[in-house]
Amino acid sequence: MTPSDSFINRRDFLTKTLATAGAGLVLGAPSILRAANTAEGDQLKIALVGMGKQGRVLFESMSNIPGLHFQAVCDIWDYNLKSGVAKVRALQGHTPKGYADIDEMLASEKGLDAAIISTPDFWHAPHTVQCLAAGLHVYCEKMMSNTIEGARSMVHAAEKSGKLCQIGHQRRSNPRYRFVHDQLINGNKICGQIVNMNAQWNRAVNSSQDISFNKKLTIKDDILNKYGYADMNHFMNWRAFRALSGGPISDLGAHQIDIFNWFMGGPPKSVFASGGNDYFTKREHFDNVMAIFDYDTPQGGARAFYQVLTTTSSGGGFWESFMGTQGNIKISEIASNTKIYREDSAPSWDTLVERGILNKGTAAAPPPPSADAVASYASAPAEIFELPGGFNKPAHQPHLENFFAAVRGKGKLTCDARHAFESEAPIFWVNPSALQRQPIQFTAEHLSV
Amino acid sequence: MSLESTCSSSNKLALTFGSLLIRIWLGTRALQTGIEKYAGSKTSESLVTIDGTPNEYGLTAAGAAKQYGMEFYHGVPQALMSKFQAEPLMLKWALPLYDKILGPMLILLGITILLGIASRCSLFILGLLYISLTWGLILIKQDEGVSWLGIHMILVVMGLALAEYNRFAILRKW
Repeated sequence: MTPSDSFINRRDFLTKTLATAGAGLVLGAPSILRAANTAEGDQLKIALVGMGKQGRVLFESMSNIPGLHFQAVCDIWDYNLKSGVAKVRALQGHTPKGYADIDEMLASEKGLDAAIISTPDFWHAPHTVQCLAAGLHVYCEKMMSNTIEGARSMVHAAEKSGKLCQIGHQRRSNPRYRFVHDQLINGNKICGQIVNMNAQWNRAVNSSQDISFNKKLTIKDDILNKYGYADMNHFMNWRAFRALSGGPISDLGAHQIDIFNWFMGGPPKSVFASGGNDYFTKREHFDNVMAIFDYDTPQGGARAFYQVLTTTSSGGGFWESFMGTQGNIKISEIASNTKIYREDSAPSWDTLVERGILNKGTAAAPPPPSADAVASYASAPAEIFELPGGFNKPAHQPHLENFFAAVRGKGKLTCDARHAFESEAPIFWVNPSALQRQPIQFTAEHLSV
Repeated sequence: MSLESTCSSSNKLALTFGSLLIRIWLGTRALQTGIEKYAGSKTSESLVTIDGTPNEYGLTAAGAAKQYGMEFYHGVPQALMSKFQAEPLMLKWALPLYDKILGPMLILLGITILLGIASRCSLFILGLLYISLTWGLILIKQDEGVSWLGIHMILVVMGLALAEYNRFAILRKW
């Protein structure tokens, strides 16, 4: 590929812009806005590594970000590869080079700035280390790896290479989460002393079934074996296998346990977990896991309870809750699940409302205890508040924007590999604790890089 | 015996005012209803201000502002459209046509009634239009709407009955 292939020249740009503007009159504004992305100059040249479901989610988010040029796409599955190439072509009017093998891609492609890695968990570390060594900045999906050694290798590689490595805990760049962390929990300390945290990701059985595939699209065994898969089921449902993934606590729980550790300012001192194969009895990983983390904070002790259930959506899906002596913040990536509650005994938050830090809640307060309850046992109902705003972008977009801004030297990563490791390290010990049915007291050996 | 012959000159003035008021009411009603069919709202995002300055986190609040434009046009409200489409007696080919002409028709009739252009014909056509709307509401059992349109019909008939006292009109013929 020559540089002229990579860029659209001025004439092409004008032609394409005019054509796109015409189409935009019919199809709407986004086409016009996307045409502007193809301007020459300050473009970052990107390789997309892994174009499965999560790769497509990231690509859709990146399609809203100006100044990116998707130069190469890599996926071992021809179906994903062709789909990824087509999506890029539709977005930027240029056909990227497609590769089945990352070694070939890195050897052939010149001038790449960054790689977006969304391969299965057990490939995260090798792919990240490889791309960093090739001089690319890396955005890698969480969980960093299926093993703590793999995660460590990513930190070492990032620091050795001097390149940026952002881990895909996208809540770290979410304006609502950042605001809660900075302004509500730390700045104005509206929770008072946080004494407990709860979080859950409860997913219905139907959403947790094995992923099926069209037999005609089966990858040849020698290719599957080359890339660490025993067969096509292994490839499609890698999340269910111990050698390839950390299971639900890693796949779903990592996002939320990361929030515990981020908001508490450090890792827990222990974990005690329990898990079982309650419904998906043949799976290697537990289908339901519960974990209790103990924290020491400057304000005192606190515990966090986390559950991931892949067998029921009961309990309101996924959210994190920070419970303090003066208030409770329940937050979720789904904005409508976010609510803030002031304890009846806490000082008034009227000043915070006047300053614009909180909005008065619109939801009705819980009714007072009814006749069938013992009034003296009940607490006064909490007053409900809401965040003062939200954001209208795909969930992953702010995190990717942060990554590209940092690559351009215009910002600092919100979740670099070292910070991600410090937050993820306790998660690696949940499954061992559940398997051993023993609490694990963390030492430097457990948590250090 | 004509109405006019039984009326004193002061009563004629009252009937003239009555005719004018009914024209203004029905004309305004039709005109603004037609214009409202081009109304919609556009949402906009703006940064939330904290302590009087835009926040640094990128938290935004959505605001909706009412706007008028061809792109918002909806002759028959969407909620009613689906109900009409499900009605076996409704002519499927006629519904989209009706949807297209309802707004412009109301605006045109509103203008002609307000300005007094062929007032009798305009009121008659407006009456027919209200009958058509009434028929649709009967089909989907919107009894309140039927009653509401019934009041409009009474006003239309009153306007026609007072046509003899129609003044301040650009075209009194028809």
